[in-house]
Amino acid sequence: MQVKGNYMVNTTPNVVWDMITNPAVLEKITPGIKTLTVTGPDQYDAISEVKVGPVKGNFEGTLSLKDQVNLESCVLVVDQKSKMGNVVAEISMKLIPDGNDNTEVQYTGDAKMSGMLARMGQRIMSGVVSTLSRQFFQSLNKELEGEPSTE
Amino acid sequence: MGKFVGKAVKRREDARFLKGAGTYTDDIKLPKMAHTAFVRSPYAHANVLSIDIEEAKNEPGVIAIYTGNDACGEFGVPCGWQVDFKNGETMREPAHPLLTKDKIRHVGEAVAIVVAETLEQARDAAEMVMVDYEELLAVTDPKQAMEAGAPLVHDQWEDNAAFDWCIGNDRAEVEAALESAHHVTEMEYRNHRVAPNAIEPRSYIADYDVNADKWTLYTSTQNPHLIRLLLCAFVLGIPEHKVRVVSKDVGGGFGSKIYHYTEEALLTWISREIGRPVKWTSDRSEAFMTDAHGRDHVVKSKMGFDKDGKIVAHLTDEYCAMGAYLSTFAPAVPTYLHGTLFQGVYTTPLIHLNVIAPFTHTVVVDAYRGAGRPEATYLLERIISKAAKEMGMDPAEIRFKNFIPPFDGVEEAGYQTQVALQYDSGDYHGVLERGLEMLGYEDFRKEQAKAREYGKLLGVGFSSYIEGCGIAPSAVVGALGARAGLYEVGHVRVQPTGKVSVFTGAHSHGQGHETVFAQFVADKLGIEMDDVEIEHGDTDQVAFGMGTYGSRSLAVGGSAIIKSIDKILEKGAKIAAHKLEAAEEDLEYAEGKWTVKGTDKSISFGDVSLTAYVPHDYPEGLEPGLDFSSFYDPSNFTYPFGTHIAVVEVDSDTGKVDVKRFIACDDVGNVMNPMIVDGQIHGGVVQGIGQALLEEVVFDEAGQMINASYMDYAMPRADDIPMIETDRTVTPCPHNPLGVKGAGEAGCIGSTPAVVNAVVDALAHLGVTDIQMPVTPQRVWKAMQN
Repeated sequence: MQVKGNYMVNTTPNVVWDMITNPAVLEKITPGIKTLTVTGPDQYDAISEVKVGPVKGNFEGTLSLKDQVNLESCVLVVDQKSKMGNVVAEISMKLIPDGNDNTEVQYTGDAKMSGMLARMGQRIMSGVVSTLSRQFFQSLNKELEGEPSTE
Repeated sequence: MGKFVGKAVKRREDARFLKGAGTYTDDIKLPKMAHTAFVRSPYAHANVLSIDIEEAKNEPGVIAIYTGNDACGEFGVPCGWQVDFKNGETMREPAHPLLTKDKIRHVGEAVAIVVAETLEQARDAAEMVMVDYEELLAVTDPKQAMEAGAPLVHDQWEDNAAFDWCIGNDRAEVEAALESAHHVTEMEYRNHRVAPNAIEPRSYIADYDVNADKWTLYTSTQNPHLIRLLLCAFVLGIPEHKVRVVSKDVGGGFGSKIYHYTEEALLTWISREIGRPVKWTSDRSEAFMTDAHGRDHVVKSKMGFDKDGKIVAHLTDEYCAMGAYLSTFAPAVPTYLHGTLFQGVYTTPLIHLNVIAPFTHTVVVDAYRGAGRPEATYLLERIISKAAKEMGMDPAEIRFKNFIPPFDGVEEAGYQTQVALQYDSGDYHGVLERGLEMLGYEDFRKEQAKAREYGKLLGVGFSSYIEGCGIAPSAVVGALGARAGLYEVGHVRVQPTGKVSVFTGAHSHGQGHETVFAQFVADKLGIEMDDVEIEHGDTDQVAFGMGTYGSRSLAVGGSAIIKSIDKILEKGAKIAAHKLEAAEEDLEYAEGKWTVKGTDKSISFGDVSLTAYVPHDYPEGLEPGLDFSSFYDPSNFTYPFGTHIAVVEVDSDTGKVDVKRFIACDDVGNVMNPMIVDGQIHGGVVQGIGQALLEEVVFDEAGQMINASYMDYAMPRADDIPMIETDRTVTPCPHNPLGVKGAGEAGCIGSTPAVVNAVVDALAHLGVTDIQMPVTPQRVWKAMQN
């Protein structure tokens, strides 16, 4: 399944970069996350509980970042298992400054699903994925409001 | 023949169905019945590294959990048909275990079953079963499955072919004729995979009675006796006489309930293990994953014509998916139920078909309404229409030019095809002529031209189908690889009061046997329908039977009943002669009584039957009772045929296809109940339109079916279907006593190519010559843009 979207974050790329590479922040802003354990640089074991529409369940597996180009782009690798089926995804993210201290995050990638998640159909799953991404970036913005800028 | 045959008698079974009072397997609740849930693979191809049931075992209500290490029957469920390689190599037949131990070969394959007090407990515990898989690359496309380096479904063989088979004339001869043909039309397409979607999902209850040491299996099936035979003799090795298979009301099957499924055998085995009745009912999601799918042929075809448009040769190569294992009838479907129909209704002198049937990492593929004949008809009717366009001929004209001339099979001999079969009787001109008349063909072409001026895209599509039903003489199907005979049993028990119980080995899954069979039995005996009861679907009641599929129930099952009625009338005449003190040859039987010809001396059927059971004043040496059972093995298949015509309008902005008219002029031989024949045609046409426009099983590259729910799998709905205009010609079957041919699948066989031909006709002026099914708005729109 193709995953694609973009989101405006109200800060500069360096701040966004710091946040999405910081486990403490990730644990706060990733939707449904229960525990995030660091297993290596940009490598995590994650346990989450997702509830969006028809998708309800506990997910367990790994999250990692690769191909990092500092402050510009990286690839998020997701490998999560659940009773409803498994998700393996590689999503490239690009941080594009708009010149006014805002950052447009563009993401695009491919998610492979199995089991019930696959059978549910792409129309529903793509809706679920975009809801989860929106929640992620909304939380990121909220997190920003609560914290003083690092600049 | 009498008072009831040929009349639109309302269906008796509807009294219970319309009130929601039918008894489907899931409606049956037995005391102490346990429930089950399967743990199924989320992967299409994987190694099972470990299965951990420890945590699940301790969940509330769990009675037992079984895995592939427990389940008996190493070989699992067998295949009922053997089709060998053309080079003589034996068909590759893998084990099909009840629960898989180590290797997953399709999404939904069962690795464990949880038995618990309630369904919810079983499902909760099934979620706690931990299976560790190692996912492997999968292949779902039958052609790709034969490419070098394709992932192997069964690695004991060097490639994925289950068999490589051919039929017809010598290939070189056919190729030579194509070389020298005036015109050759080519086609390459996919007859795509569809899911069967019976309204009632599969459901089984196994009940082992420890005191009697007997099993009862309640199952939603099309053939209870065959299930019992396969279950006992091939899977579990338990004595056949200790197993009763009961199949009450069945809510549709379309072929998918012919086969013996792993779940049936597993539950039967579990019931004895736990000493309790145990039930499993598929949910819709499981149905998409585990019911045998239909079609899935990748086709490459060439048809050669002379300058007058006469077919001179036909050569086709196909890859036909088998799925991960060989289902009960699977090998027969793309071969003996498919290649044998390549003659169609045409005089084609040279035909060659080659079929490679690969295993794929998908659920099994087997017969689906029409089974091989819709695929053959689609090819023939599309390619001949395409040829007509290419050669500037009218699609009706090219058909008339190539039709086999009419023959009744009595005065004129049957028609010997190039592909093994001999057609019984047919008048292919007649149905097309009637179809054109119903359409108003000339007016339609004018309307079409006019509509085009206003930007409205109208098209008409024809399909002149033939199909083979009532399969068949046992000796013939045996020679073709069937591992069973295909006769039928009809048992007629006249009760002392003259009421009649009929036991048939055919088994209705919605067709209306209880009505139609009672109609001809009542007429043949000259009694009321109310005095006739039709019993089916219980191996303890019915002596034996081969079940219902291939539109065989009336042609084969009905004929077996007629055979028994003949025996009853023969014996009844002896009793009547004795009572009337007349010679048997002086009696005639009509309207329910024997009369001494030319007198008013008569005795009624009821009095004779009472005498048979109270034989005080009785012919010497004659056995009491009036009860006969017969096996009927037909001398040939039956060959219904017809013309289907679709008129479509294509939305030029969106590409949406709207079927405006659908005309079905069928010849199913003699008609017992026109309302039921119409109903069968309607249902079949809807399924055929469904495949043409809407339905398709879609896999992603990992072998996941990504549209396995009714949110995404597009079933036809009422607003996709126009009023279906039906009519019939009648060419009786010359070789069975009722003169019937079969109507169950005709609608599904004839309709699909008619619709696609109509779409191509609507787009012809834009240069469109072919379009892949299902003809979705997206595909039409793309075709229009190119």
